[in-house]
Amino acid sequence: MRFQKYSSALLLLIISACSSLTLKPADYSWPIENVLKVDNKGFVEEQRYSFTLKVKALFYEEFKDSTNFSGKEIRLIRDKVGFIYITGKEFKNVYVFAVEENGMDLENKILITETGLSSPMFNQKSPNIELLDNSNKYLLNNEGIVR
Amino acid sequence: MKTNKFFFLFFLITAFVLNQNIFAQSDREKVTSFDSQFKQYENAIKNAASLDECNIIGENIEKLRVEFADSKTLIEKSLQINYDEEFLKIERALEVRKGDFTQIVQLTTEVGSLKDKVSELSQQNEGLISQIKQLNIRTAKDAATIASLTRLVSQLRSNIEQRDELVRGIVDSLLQEFVKTPGTLNDAEKQAIYKRVDNGNLFYNIERTISDNVQFMKVTQMKAEDLSKMKEQYKDFNKVWRQVGPKLAEVYLNRRDKAAQVANIDAMFTDWNIRINDEMWGQVNKLFRDYKLALLPFKGGEQFVNSVTSFVDDEIKNYGVKSKTESENTFYAFTDSVYFKTVQPVWVPVLIENNLMTEANKDSVEKRIATWKEKVAPASKMNWVYIVSGVVIIALFIAYFMKGKKKQVTFDEKKEDQA
Repeated sequence: MRFQKYSSALLLLIISACSSLTLKPADYSWPIENVLKVDNKGFVEEQRYSFTLKVKALFYEEFKDSTNFSGKEIRLIRDKVGFIYITGKEFKNVYVFAVEENGMDLENKILITETGLSSPMFNQKSPNIELLDNSNKYLLNNEGIVR
Repeated sequence: MKTNKFFFLFFLITAFVLNQNIFAQSDREKVTSFDSQFKQYENAIKNAASLDECNIIGENIEKLRVEFADSKTLIEKSLQINYDEEFLKIERALEVRKGDFTQIVQLTTEVGSLKDKVSELSQQNEGLISQIKQLNIRTAKDAATIASLTRLVSQLRSNIEQRDELVRGIVDSLLQEFVKTPGTLNDAEKQAIYKRVDNGNLFYNIERTISDNVQFMKVTQMKAEDLSKMKEQYKDFNKVWRQVGPKLAEVYLNRRDKAAQVANIDAMFTDWNIRINDEMWGQVNKLFRDYKLALLPFKGGEQFVNSVTSFVDDEIKNYGVKSKTESENTFYAFTDSVYFKTVQPVWVPVLIENNLMTEANKDSVEKRIATWKEKVAPASKMNWVYIVSGVVIIALFIAYFMKGKKKQVTFDEKKEDQA
């Protein structure tokens, strides 16, 4: 009986020591998309939120060509949860990334059109992201096309 | 009927689709469009060239505010601004700019009235100069002619002064404009300058001012104080012109006729200065000529020193050759009647003040005169007689008092002895 008491107290202590601090709720949404030009080393630089990102691998993933990226534009927007959506002209997909230490991890690759987007634009429609391509409109979240 | 219905339906569907497309606008484009229009109006305010232009900008700003009112939150978040405060700021800037133009409109009106006054005075001056010339031509001048001449000259002097001030006012207002917009002027600012120069008939009026002053010098006999005053006017006016002239030359770089006028005014200012200087030296020359003292002509401090030195040297050389009386007469005419009577007290200070001669020049002249005096009118022996006599009188006077004192002492001593 005494052993049971001690062991439950110890368990409580261990559990409380392991629990982490969580700050909630958070809203990471950017009000508007960012259009960034890829430099000849494959980097884009974001001024307002102040980060740089190497996107060479993204071009390889999309076009199977990691040499033809210099001077191209990509469009980025971040949703409320914190996922970053990236696409660009002639992209067939929208890439959803989760920010991680020193980089981004692909969360989802959403196929939009097999013919490629001709003039894609993101809008913030919290909690979703709106993708416009000429007259076509898509509502997205990190899991895929909502509508 | 069926066809009509079909067309109506088609129209509705098309309108709906188009409407969808119109609304399918990127938020980023909206924000960029707002930002660029806002910046465009900010620049437009800076470059506005008139009050009307400002009013149009004001209307456009109001339209912009209404047009993007629905996107206020988006714009505020994206551009990190306060929508209403930004509009307040731009409206304040517009009001300030409007204030500039209100002042300019007032100044333009003032310049307009100044222009009329200037024209009136210029016409009067022309008449006065012509009348003075005619009176001057008359060989026999009776008291009435002289009185009339004096009155006309005085009226002309006052008119010229008034007109100078008015033209100076126009140039000053233009200078303020240049001070307000330092550096290179943009097209709108250049246009404003063209307008003000034309409104004030500036180039013509400056030319007229200078030529009237020169004419005045020609038709009247000016005293040292008149010339000194005119020189001051020249200095003031020229100082302002030197600030405005190069700016105007820059503004009128592509208008050859106006650029030539700017250059001409530069030359006229130089000429005016030379004429005042020449007139000053001419008056000094005349003072010597009036006493038949044949000095070599001079137009500068050094020349004056050389001329006096040469004259005095000749006189010293000729001393003994000419009769003594003649030499003395020349000396006294030079020194007592001209140099120490008028040149030194009246003209030399004016000439030195205007950098036309130096203190060293004056000292050289006076040293030379002193050397001449030693030769022609040395301190006479009589002077020594007076000095020696004076000393003797003083000595006698002292001796007399000393003697009186001694006697009194002796008398006192005797009294003491008796007692």
